[in-house]
Amino acid sequence: MKKFLLIALALLAAAAFALPASAAELRIAQVADISSLDPHKVSDVYSANVIRQIYSNIVQVDEHMEIIPDLAESWENPDDLTWIFHLRKGVTFHNGDPLTAAAVKFSLERIKDPATASPGATHLREVASVEAVDEHTLKLVTKRPFAPMLMSLTRYETAVVSERAVKEAGADYGSKAAVGTGPFKFASWSRGDKVTLEKFDAYFRGPAPIDTVVYRGIPEDATRLVELESGGVDLIPGNFPNQDFALIKESGKFLTYQTPAMSTLYMGLNTEIKPFDNRLVRQAMNYAVDKQAIVDAIYFGFGAPAKGPLSPVIWGFDPAREPAYPYNPAKAKELLKEAGFPDGFDMTIFSDNRTERRSAAELIQAYLSEVGIRAQVELMEWSALLSTSAKGIGGAFMLGWTGTGDADGGMTPIYHTANIGSSNRFRHSIPALDALLEKGAATLDQAERRKIYAEAQQLAVEECPLVFMISQELLGASSKKVQGFKLYPNMITPLYGVTVSE
Amino acid sequence: MLRYFFKRLMFLVPVLFGVSILIFSIVHLAPGDPAEVMLGPAATQEDIANLREQLGLTKPLYVQYGIFLGNALKGDLGRSIKSNAPVMEEIMERFPATLTLALLGMTFAIVVGLPLGILAALKQNTWVDALCSFLALVGFSIPNFWIALMLMLLLSIYIPILPSSGFDSWKNLIMPTIVLGIQTMAVIARMTRSSMLEVIRQDYVRTAKAKGISDRLVLTRHILSNVMIPVVTIAGLYFGHQLGGVVITETVFSIPGLGRLIVDAIRAQDYPVVQGGVLFFAFCVGIVNLLVDLLYAVLDPRIKAQYRAAK
Repeated sequence: MKKFLLIALALLAAAAFALPASAAELRIAQVADISSLDPHKVSDVYSANVIRQIYSNIVQVDEHMEIIPDLAESWENPDDLTWIFHLRKGVTFHNGDPLTAAAVKFSLERIKDPATASPGATHLREVASVEAVDEHTLKLVTKRPFAPMLMSLTRYETAVVSERAVKEAGADYGSKAAVGTGPFKFASWSRGDKVTLEKFDAYFRGPAPIDTVVYRGIPEDATRLVELESGGVDLIPGNFPNQDFALIKESGKFLTYQTPAMSTLYMGLNTEIKPFDNRLVRQAMNYAVDKQAIVDAIYFGFGAPAKGPLSPVIWGFDPAREPAYPYNPAKAKELLKEAGFPDGFDMTIFSDNRTERRSAAELIQAYLSEVGIRAQVELMEWSALLSTSAKGIGGAFMLGWTGTGDADGGMTPIYHTANIGSSNRFRHSIPALDALLEKGAATLDQAERRKIYAEAQQLAVEECPLVFMISQELLGASSKKVQGFKLYPNMITPLYGVTVSE
Repeated sequence: MLRYFFKRLMFLVPVLFGVSILIFSIVHLAPGDPAEVMLGPAATQEDIANLREQLGLTKPLYVQYGIFLGNALKGDLGRSIKSNAPVMEEIMERFPATLTLALLGMTFAIVVGLPLGILAALKQNTWVDALCSFLALVGFSIPNFWIALMLMLLLSIYIPILPSSGFDSWKNLIMPTIVLGIQTMAVIARMTRSSMLEVIRQDYVRTAKAKGISDRLVLTRHILSNVMIPVVTIAGLYFGHQLGGVVITETVFSIPGLGRLIVDAIRAQDYPVVQGGVLFFAFCVGIVNLLVDLLYAVLDPRIKAQYRAAK
């Protein structure tokens, strides 16, 4: 027995001293494993993060969500409908094929093809034609003047894939093969567990400083944290549990990352039903809720009351904006009285079962009751909530909006009259706002665009077919070995340039 | 015996058929739509309609079921909506982890639970008995995710000797094995104890002792072989239970198993994976039940005799 114990102890000791992974490896913990590495087939942020390392886009965004060159070195608009992109020369795919305008054309047309059923097709809906003018010149013609075009081309859904790899792999593209022009190439995927990438030596900006990247899917918050603390992973990019962040930050043992998120949380109102058709009622509800208290309660203080329809990191956000409808229950009661509801009314808040949204709904319920509005919270399955609210839900609904990173993507889908029946779940038509959004999308002059969207944001706040809630914050942490990591507001962060020291 | 085995195997066919109808109906009648989940809140009605068409969701339900059943009989469970990979391939990739875990958990439960129960019965009403019963009670009543977190805290952070997640080496398996097996261990310990106490008082045990057979031989030949029958029943039942309970363990320790595959698929409304996965689970539980029945025959001569008579 003693001998056995000794052996067991020796084994455990050996385990403890097992060598850590090699220095040039970066191990990242995400909430879930990827679903596929075919950028034209996925719609989850965890796959998107890995896709971002393997593929390049025509253009990209930096950490301030400003457009920067990627495969295209420069671009110009000979007229309002035409975009000419001059592609870099000497770029190769991981399989050795050269990147040409024809290769980019193949990718864009693959996304647009209904047979692909790409979730990203919506980003190219304004594209009328794609043409390879010569080997390194791509011409894109839009159906109408469309300023957000560049932002659409930065999306991971519009990444450029290798035509040969797609055709060779067939239905297995994305699970057994994934070939792009990015700084890392696909090495292996152990489904449900982890995906491994290797440095691509012929990357057009030069090889990355790290050799290997491992993305692991660790669904439990606590487990991810234990892995970071015990050195099992080096980096948790975003999705860091809010309740543990302050503690990790104070400990001083880790590097922490914070950035406002692109997404905002709101409570939508179906304005087709009474009394949400009354603007005074909607404004009263906006005043009745203490958003900062909700940020503190459910996000542990990380986040801020929304300043309107757009998060501060979205291109086109008006920096002059103040939080929309600061907490003022007295004013709310006054407005309700003016609207003819001195004793309040009954209503239902629909939410899916995510803890944060459910808790937010319950807190809103409590605040509304203080001004006499009797709300009840009803839970729905996520996709049922999406489809029911698109068709017109019987009350208010908790939802978030992320958009594309551009004011157009942040507002047009949910406010424009044309989208009633799908993403305009308020089912509310504001003709003046429609006009502004259309003008904003059609104006290629960026300074002019900003002015138009500033006006649009103000109008949306005044009309408020929703209760503006919270601009969320993204949190991340890494071991001190990791240098040069920046958390992007869209949660999709390039790892090129990140180093891992001994 | 072999004929009995095949006869029982045939019984599995209607069971699986029933399960397939049940799971197909539940999956398709429950609210929600994979196209909606995949395309998210920004989707237009046309996008959703197009994706539904591509996924074959616009056909009438009975046609969809017919296609599903026809392909399933050929061993083809379709392709995942989320990853586009063949479902059978995903299941086969994930199953080894789940099976390993379930077998290890059961081994742990038996190796620890059985001696604990025997010890408690032999030392009935002493502090040993009290301790064993206490351990069994604790093992049964503490939620296993809590045990998982405490083990992680202890063995990954305070005394960093074990990795807290993943599925790379045997070290990854130690904590999940304990967490998965501890409840079954407790049940087996309690079952063994009470069953032992019953058997010890039987006439044939007294007779054996009176004949002067050594205590050890009485225990192994006369007592344990009789104690084993209820214990095997419980272990068999709990094996199915463990296959289900593996979901929590797989999630907490981030192990790429079948349980997590199905839970993730339910979240994403990935119909083919849910259907295929549940059908496969049902098949496994059926096989385990069958094996347990066969084990009775080995343990209990009376049952073996019945099989012979049935021939």
